[in-house]
Amino acid sequence: MSEFNFENPSRQSAKGILVIFGVSVFKVGKGIVIAGAALVLKYLQSGKGPDLTQPIFIISVLAIAIFFLIIAILRYLNFKFFLKEDYFFLQKGIINKEEISVSFGRIQNVYIKQNLLQQLINVVSLAIETAGDDKTEIEINALSKTKALALKSKLLAEVKAQNTNSDELDAAETEELYFKASVKKLLLEGMSENHLKSFVLIFAFLVGIYQDIKEFVNSVEFAERFRGWFQLNSESVMTLLLFNISLVGALLVVSFFFSMIRMFVQNFDLTVIRKPNGLEISKGLFNKISLSLTSSRIQTTTVSTNRLKKALGLYKLAFTQAMANKKQQLSFSVVGLNRNQIYELLDQFYPKVLDKITKHKPNIYIVYRRLWLNVWLLIVINIGLYFLPMEFLLLNILFVLYIGFNTYYMYKKTYYHVDENYVVLGGGGLIDTFSKYLEIHKAQAVEITQTIFQKRRKLASLTVHSASKSITIPHIEKTEALAISNFILYLVESQNKDWM
Amino acid sequence: MFTNDQIDVGALPQLENLNLKPIDSKYLYIILINILSVFFGLLGGLFIARWISNDQGFRSFALVLLVIIGLIGVMSLTIYYLGFKNRKYAIREQDMTYTQGYIVTKMVTLPYNRIQHLEIKRSFLSRKFGLSTLKIYSAGESGGDLSIKGLPKDVAERQYAYLTQIINERV
Repeated sequence: MSEFNFENPSRQSAKGILVIFGVSVFKVGKGIVIAGAALVLKYLQSGKGPDLTQPIFIISVLAIAIFFLIIAILRYLNFKFFLKEDYFFLQKGIINKEEISVSFGRIQNVYIKQNLLQQLINVVSLAIETAGDDKTEIEINALSKTKALALKSKLLAEVKAQNTNSDELDAAETEELYFKASVKKLLLEGMSENHLKSFVLIFAFLVGIYQDIKEFVNSVEFAERFRGWFQLNSESVMTLLLFNISLVGALLVVSFFFSMIRMFVQNFDLTVIRKPNGLEISKGLFNKISLSLTSSRIQTTTVSTNRLKKALGLYKLAFTQAMANKKQQLSFSVVGLNRNQIYELLDQFYPKVLDKITKHKPNIYIVYRRLWLNVWLLIVINIGLYFLPMEFLLLNILFVLYIGFNTYYMYKKTYYHVDENYVVLGGGGLIDTFSKYLEIHKAQAVEITQTIFQKRRKLASLTVHSASKSITIPHIEKTEALAISNFILYLVESQNKDWM
Repeated sequence: MFTNDQIDVGALPQLENLNLKPIDSKYLYIILINILSVFFGLLGGLFIARWISNDQGFRSFALVLLVIIGLIGVMSLTIYYLGFKNRKYAIREQDMTYTQGYIVTKMVTLPYNRIQHLEIKRSFLSRKFGLSTLKIYSAGESGGDLSIKGLPKDVAERQYAYLTQIINERV
């Protein structure tokens, strides 16, 4: 028996005031950051700084802070939760009172999360996820870790007692630490990321704030310095080329560190605990999150890697879950797994799937279509290149090579497989490789799409919708698409298996 | 009793043999009215703006825009008109199918044991024409919901009642 009594209404940890206060300051801060930045810029331009010592300024800042503090305290005082009979109760609201009750039968999952502020003051937040409702959001922001864990296990035990037909009775006894990502693994993962993605992200960001940084760049005579470094005065093609290449190089270095740091922050201390009915995953540096994945709730699973990662023996396993609340995490991934671990985990959730796969190929039309679309893309790019010096047209060699290889490997890697238990789709390109898995009884609907171009060739694409992401088998014979649909519909309708 | 007979894939109920029923032909009027009102609104606004304006540059620009919008309008009318005959539905014992589209034809089939909830919607225009939209939701996040527009009111309500009964019996 736990030392906490949840039958009586209890408040959060008193530190909750800080969390609520912090969150509202953060929200307001986020709201006025642009206005604030504009003000600061204005002051900097006018040359005289704001007189922060003016009493009116100090008083107004203090007043706002106190206002938020009072709100936070009132929110804290009015926030109570307790368990009674078969329900979890939550009372909140300062003026508009709200009481939420959730029956244990409707609780799907219980999360424990920790953001940066919560880590600093050593509290965790506990979120309860329910079935069938988009709007109810139940989150207790500040609990001591022991209390949160006690509440979590209490709730989950009650949930289990409710679901009499669940076969997960001995789940607690047989959990084992399955995988813990070492710092070295994460560094390798970060290094072997597709840096082009980060590159595009950063590039887009820079283009977005181009107007803003333009003035800054001008003010530090950035371009002039650059020219100085290369000791070139003329606007020759070489200067331009060198300037651009070094700019791209610098951006690539930034992207490299960006993907590396992102990988590290998101997956810090990644731990996977294996249970008979699923996994318990926790990770994150600033935002710690832990959740349990039960096999019944997993919708699609994706295994992905790229050439470099494959050579290093690194694979990523990503799950999507069925979820009522859109705000909550729909997908969750585990990085840094090796080949054997992938096999083991896949076999846990999709027994024997890998032995049974027979690879069927989509129609060769998929290649024509890809090439056709890429030709259009190439034309658009060339319209852009037309305005640059002639030499840039040489880039086309690179593009054509890339398109050729990418399309070749796309076709080589694409396959599909359907049997009485699973739908499997493989694919990728020059660099990436992926395979997706879905259990047939989790299909929600099947969709056959046919464009007028496909119609001439009697082809169609088949999409199997799940309660999360869907799987699309592209460009197969229409008769084949219909046969697969008939088969899937037959299985779904005759088995009457629950999809959740 | 446990059985594990081999499934004869050829003998399964076949989607290709479905007898698809067209939706009510009056729904075509609703589509036409909707498209025409949008495009005539745009064209009218632009025409008035052009009429008021004295700026020669704007006037010639507006003329080009008028022609382009008019062309797009005619094109979408044609596509919707051609696609109208593809708006069909079929009801089987275990599932429901809806097809639509002209350039991209879609056929979605939703098994009854995956229905989450149902909805009947009647816009102002469909009330005038005595039509209803029947929406059938699955738990599909990425699509896979059916929205059968332009059913006669009584058909939609009969279907709604029928499906509600199925859902209730399921639980």
